[in-house]
Amino acid sequence: MIYSLIGYYSLVIGLIIGLSLFYFSYKNFNNSDILDIKILSFTFLQLFFVVISFLSLIFSFVISDFSNETVFNNSHTTKPLFYKISGTWGNHEGSLLLWLLVLTLFIFLFLIRTKNQPVKYKILTLVFQQIIIVGFFLFLIKTSNPFNYIFPIPTEGLGLNPILQDPALAIHPPVLYLGYVGSSIIFSSVLAATSLKIISTSWASHIKNWILISWIFLTMGILLGSIWAYYELGWGGFWFWDPVENVSLMPWLALTTLLHCILVLEKKSILTSWVIILSITTFTLSMCGTFLVRSGILNSVHTFANDPERGLFILVFLFILIFLSILIFFFFHKDNDTKSYSFFWFSKETSILINNWFMMYFLSVVLIGTVYPIFLDVISSQKISVGPPFYHKLIIPFLIPFLLMMAIGPKLKWIKSQLEDKIYLISFLIISILLAFLVLKNFNQNILINTILISSALYLFFMTLRDFFSKTYKNISQNIAHFGFSLLILSILFNNLFASEIITNLKVGETFENSKTKIVFESVDQKKEKNYNAIIANFSISNSNGEEDRFSPELRIYNQPVIATSEADIKTTLMSDKFIVINLVQNQDFFNVRYQVKPFMLWIWLSVILISFGGIVSFLQKKS
Amino acid sequence: MKFLKFFLIVIILFTLSSVNAEENDKRNKITKNLRCLICQGQSVYDSDSEFANSLKIVVDKKLQEGLSEDQIYEYFKSKYGEWILYDPGLNKNTYILWLLPILIFLIGGAIIYKSFIVKK
Repeated sequence: MIYSLIGYYSLVIGLIIGLSLFYFSYKNFNNSDILDIKILSFTFLQLFFVVISFLSLIFSFVISDFSNETVFNNSHTTKPLFYKISGTWGNHEGSLLLWLLVLTLFIFLFLIRTKNQPVKYKILTLVFQQIIIVGFFLFLIKTSNPFNYIFPIPTEGLGLNPILQDPALAIHPPVLYLGYVGSSIIFSSVLAATSLKIISTSWASHIKNWILISWIFLTMGILLGSIWAYYELGWGGFWFWDPVENVSLMPWLALTTLLHCILVLEKKSILTSWVIILSITTFTLSMCGTFLVRSGILNSVHTFANDPERGLFILVFLFILIFLSILIFFFFHKDNDTKSYSFFWFSKETSILINNWFMMYFLSVVLIGTVYPIFLDVISSQKISVGPPFYHKLIIPFLIPFLLMMAIGPKLKWIKSQLEDKIYLISFLIISILLAFLVLKNFNQNILINTILISSALYLFFMTLRDFFSKTYKNISQNIAHFGFSLLILSILFNNLFASEIITNLKVGETFENSKTKIVFESVDQKKEKNYNAIIANFSISNSNGEEDRFSPELRIYNQPVIATSEADIKTTLMSDKFIVINLVQNQDFFNVRYQVKPFMLWIWLSVILISFGGIVSFLQKKS
Repeated sequence: MKFLKFFLIVIILFTLSSVNAEENDKRNKITKNLRCLICQGQSVYDSDSEFANSLKIVVDKKLQEGLSEDQIYEYFKSKYGEWILYDPGLNKNTYILWLLPILIFLIGGAIIYKSFIVKK
């Protein structure tokens, strides 16, 4: 009770502070030698009250205060403490409070960390960020208050969806949000810089850090979600082109493009309009994503809150923000860099432009694939599904030139470049093609496009690998990230091409055998935990080399709410994952057994970590 | 003669098992492209719901009847509507879906070429 009160009034105070900050900013803006200390302290106070509000929601979850509607809907006394806490952001209201927390945290950090930039710029950034913050305060208080009462007070809660009761998923939303919502600060500062016409090389290197931070968290957040989907959703894939996954991929694509583009701006003070448009696009895509997920328009595994009123609010808010940014862009932004607009065709600038070109294409594929079915449904009430085949057909062929450009682009010089060491560039290409051909030939998978695709990924792999040992080549962060990307593409390709799978129905005691694998279903145990009962099936699986592994996948029946889930058992090694999952066949004593061997699974995760590590290195280099 | 018989049997067994394996691959490929209509964003292949399992059996049956992949998609489309196919074919409903990204790619290339690159 008391925590709900504290939480709710903290939100109200935070909103009032937000409004008062507009007034202080206005006063300070006209008299702007130094940043008013009141602005700094009020921003801190706002953050403080949002933290208080967030903590009181967490406490309500911890003590299972069921007079709070959010807690009642998403918690249960028998849940382990860890999932009581993570349940705080495993629902609509709580996750929006987390949005607000990240919004206020980033503007506070921005104000105290930004030095050597005009005071007016800081104030304006604060104003734009406060517009977003106040919008979210209103949204939270009006349509999604996390502190609603219920009376009479229920004695027990409804429980948390069992597939959300998982360690990876507990930290996935906070990490993802730091990237996703973190892009708001890029949006605000780009609008401020545009209004003040101060976009320059020094501004570019200042904003680059913020882009890097968002980018690193967004990458890691997507990775965590993907790992979770791999072992928890229980069917062995890691990316499903599910609309909600796409919604997080789109800002990532825009942010990655922006990261490359800001390099040009930092060095040459050109492409300013493009940087502005990309920054606005990134945050707009984040907001669009929130709108699509929250409004329940999308059919996906993530939809846990469907309410048209919320959707409408975000939609209106989104249009206001877009309108505002377009207005600022057209009124204040004057393109004054036409003088140096022409690039030599063979230069670093051109290669980055080509990167931008392809990234925008990938973005448009994902965007159109995600929203087109919605539009078609509205316009002609025809329902179509857009799934993995669509994305694969449109993206994979374009990856080939993209990978080749990624290998060569970073070697080029600014302004004008010649290809050096032609011999080794070409010999690496030949080696890659030969290697790809040999690999595929032995596995009877000789499809032309696979050979070309693997060759180009191998080419990038070798080129970046060589650069680690090259003395003349300095850009270590970029090299790590590109190397990671080549590793990612290679692991995904090999993972797809060489995965093997057995699907069969077995009773306890039965054995399945084919030329390569022998699966023995040995026994079944039962287990009782606080929040679920489980059936544990014991398997012994041996392959033709005589190696034997023991697996115990589970079927869990969670008690609150009553939902059955399959827990896969996975044996991870450096070279491959062995993945087994069982399901009950309805009304029979058979179990449906699905056993998969997935090569290089671990490398998919490692290469994404490597990619974000490249970002971290770049971030740390900037500091020194 | 005995040898020939044995040889024949081996060949038949071999082809049968490889046909089976091929059929399995084909079944997997087809079910991956079908949406499980009662699930939230899962394919028939991934799902273990009753609906998905019965659809898997239907696919097997149709394969045994000798229908081609496309014919099977056609069959499901006529029965459940286009919603069930993950790979939307190119038709008047989907021209924009398939062609707009390509168009964006071409326009993007043209813009870059026209406005930035010196032609010498």
